Amino acid sequence: MKKKVLALLMASLMAASLTACGGSASGGGTAASEDSAGDTAAAAGEETAPAQEASGDSIRLVNGKIEVDSQLKKLAEMYEQETGVHVEIESLGGGVDIQGTLKGYYQAGNMPDIFVNGGASDFSNWEGMLEDMSGEAWASDTDAAYVDPTYGTIGFPYTVEAVGLAYNKDILAKAEIDPATLTGPDEIKAAFEKLDSMKADLGLDAVVGYCAEATNLYWSTGNHLFANYLDGGLDRDDTTYIDMLNDGGKLDTDRLGKFADFVGLLNQYSDPALLVSGTYDQQILNFASGKYAFVTQGSWIGATMTNDDADAYASAGNFEVGMIPYAFDTSVDTILTNSPSWWGVFSDGNTAAAKAFLQWCSEDEAQQVLVEEAGFISPFTSCKYVASDPFAQAIVDWQSAGKTSAWHWLSMREGLAQNYTGQVFADYAAGSLDRDGFVSAMQQVTQACYAN
Amino acid sequence: MTEKKALSAGLLALGAAGLAVSLIMDFSGSENTIRGPLLVIGAILALVGLYCIPTKKYHRSIINFIFLFPLLFAFGVTVIIPLLLGIGYSFTDWNGVVIKNVVGISNYTTMFRDPSFIWSVLLTFLFVIFNMILVNLIGFALALLCTAQMRGIGFFRASYFLPNLIGGIVLGYIWQFVFNNVLVQITAKTIGLQNSILATTGTAFWAIIAVYIWQYAGYIMLIYVTGLTTIPGDVLEASRIDGAKGIETLFKIKIPMIASTITICTFLTLTSAFKQFDVNMALTNGTGSVADFMGSYLTNGTQMLALNIYNTAISKNSYALGQAKAVLFFVILACVSILQVRISNSREVEM
Repeated sequence: MKKKVLALLMASLMAASLTACGGSASGGGTAASEDSAGDTAAAAGEETAPAQEASGDSIRLVNGKIEVDSQLKKLAEMYEQETGVHVEIESLGGGVDIQGTLKGYYQAGNMPDIFVNGGASDFSNWEGMLEDMSGEAWASDTDAAYVDPTYGTIGFPYTVEAVGLAYNKDILAKAEIDPATLTGPDEIKAAFEKLDSMKADLGLDAVVGYCAEATNLYWSTGNHLFANYLDGGLDRDDTTYIDMLNDGGKLDTDRLGKFADFVGLLNQYSDPALLVSGTYDQQILNFASGKYAFVTQGSWIGATMTNDDADAYASAGNFEVGMIPYAFDTSVDTILTNSPSWWGVFSDGNTAAAKAFLQWCSEDEAQQVLVEEAGFISPFTSCKYVASDPFAQAIVDWQSAGKTSAWHWLSMREGLAQNYTGQVFADYAAGSLDRDGFVSAMQQVTQACYAN
Repeated sequence: MTEKKALSAGLLALGAAGLAVSLIMDFSGSENTIRGPLLVIGAILALVGLYCIPTKKYHRSIINFIFLFPLLFAFGVTVIIPLLLGIGYSFTDWNGVVIKNVVGISNYTTMFRDPSFIWSVLLTFLFVIFNMILVNLIGFALALLCTAQMRGIGFFRASYFLPNLIGGIVLGYIWQFVFNNVLVQITAKTIGLQNSILATTGTAFWAIIAVYIWQYAGYIMLIYVTGLTTIPGDVLEASRIDGAKGIETLFKIKIPMIASTITICTFLTLTSAFKQFDVNMALTNGTGSVADFMGSYLTNGTQMLALNIYNTAISKNSYALGQAKAVLFFVILACVSILQVRISNSREVEM
């Protein structure tokens, strides 16, 4: 008898624990009330619920830019104070495969309400599973939203980034080089030579901070640098080279050859300690410390320079920075600017709360944090803030001059940079490939990638 | 008797009803949280009902089944069902979220036509051979040292075993730092080499082997230590009286006496080297180039089979192709395991 009672107790304990787990797990899914508050007009036009009633409601956002994690958390706190809706920020990044992680979440039934997507191939993973947000007020306030021909406005833009050859204005001024004159490979080569001969006077370690390490920095070479082959100097809607690439991995030998010459120049004048086995941190820190005149990273390093590397940057005099095009040909006269990724709303999630949060993000209060603290370049025309980010002015200048190209590397075959081209850049940097070897290896590996 | 019959029938019916209702609720997409407990209670009731069936003839088999059920259930849910699902996925164009078409065996033909995959397979075999020999040699040598009569032997045993307690990913990043930041500083000063040994395929492969041995030899050492300490003292004493020296004792007495341990360790290193993933991923993530293999320029010089599968599925977003490769991987490992069971069985008979 005693044994039976014990067994019954055990069984009920097990059942109770299961109930408890099930209860907490479903908490996110059942909450779906309309919860916009304050001046955030409910986009769907339904009645607005007071903040108190919405408390306990929560949404989860998967962010792909780990460098602005703290700023987004601050934003989430502000939003919770204002509306009572809890926003959980989960930041992935720094080489983490975000789409792979999201697929894992999907398999586990643990999808976030808002998550980041990097482009056409990412969006196609979630075909028909993302909310159309064309009815939202912010959608008419920007031209940088991700619009799918079938499913409408499914991506919320939050920043604009730029890829160009970043330079240290102070050092170029000391060397009496006018960045506006660096419009072709010959001019850039002459400038590199001049800087190289003055290294000791200028306190430089090397002329360029270019890192082609393949394990952790494949994205810098394989995506961002290669983006200049794809789009440099083209109109924003010109898709010549990306279309060629997506047609079985074809590359234009002539253009690639000129590009290879330019990469060779970077190899030659880069810091040898950084070139093959360096790290991202090292690259940015040395640029922020004024040890490189140029660095092959885009505008996002501004946030790192003013936060993590603030001390080094300050002791280097908080120098001004700018960008020149990767002018591997005289016709390449643009820097690349684009929304690097978009936030999509998962249609099985807490969509109403998610949409309300995004609408709030596009408005004055949130934009102030996003622009002034996170250093985002606002994609919204109504935004009146200018980022304190070192690169903000450079981007605005190039944009107002109309000398920008879009970037299309997001439409490349998935894994091209990580599994194929990143390694070829590394081999070229290490010297195991020469210029012609680089061109033919690039052609071969892209074809291999597209063949599978 | 009839009372008991009614009880067992009632319990079985209640249990079945509970199971059915909870499963229907789950498959119809209900979010009701009672479905979990209902499923568990239904299962328990059904098992109790089964136990109460008034029969002498089948009682023993029913008890056997009830005791085996938890294991069989767990094995089915975590091994058999995923295996069958995986084989099914390998014949489709699954992208991790939805299946659009059934593509037959085209994933398998693509896989065998891809030089980079064949390279990964060959590299894995090479890695397995090197590791099987080196890990066992070093593990056995350490075991001999750690069974010697000297002070503080426990400290040495613990410190050789310690690397095995660190996870492979952490270990990989630690050694990546050592190779890329520390070793480069030294080589830059001494021989003027600014590139880390992880930057070229050949040296990176040896780096992975070294790290793997560092991680795994301590574990194998521990098994050899156990084997060596089970050798009866009287046998060793008798051989010493007969005039056997150290080397003779080692080859004529110790090694034959621990033959079964050697078999176990060989297969342990074999299977674990085949499944090598975490150190490979953290250390090089498969980078490294091969100038000409089967007429192509390869960019996955240090990518072993498990990592190749992972990268195919995750970073190249070809889940179905990755699944097809995983099926081949399963076949290879299953063959190794069957061989292992065969060999260890025949040894036991001999002894």
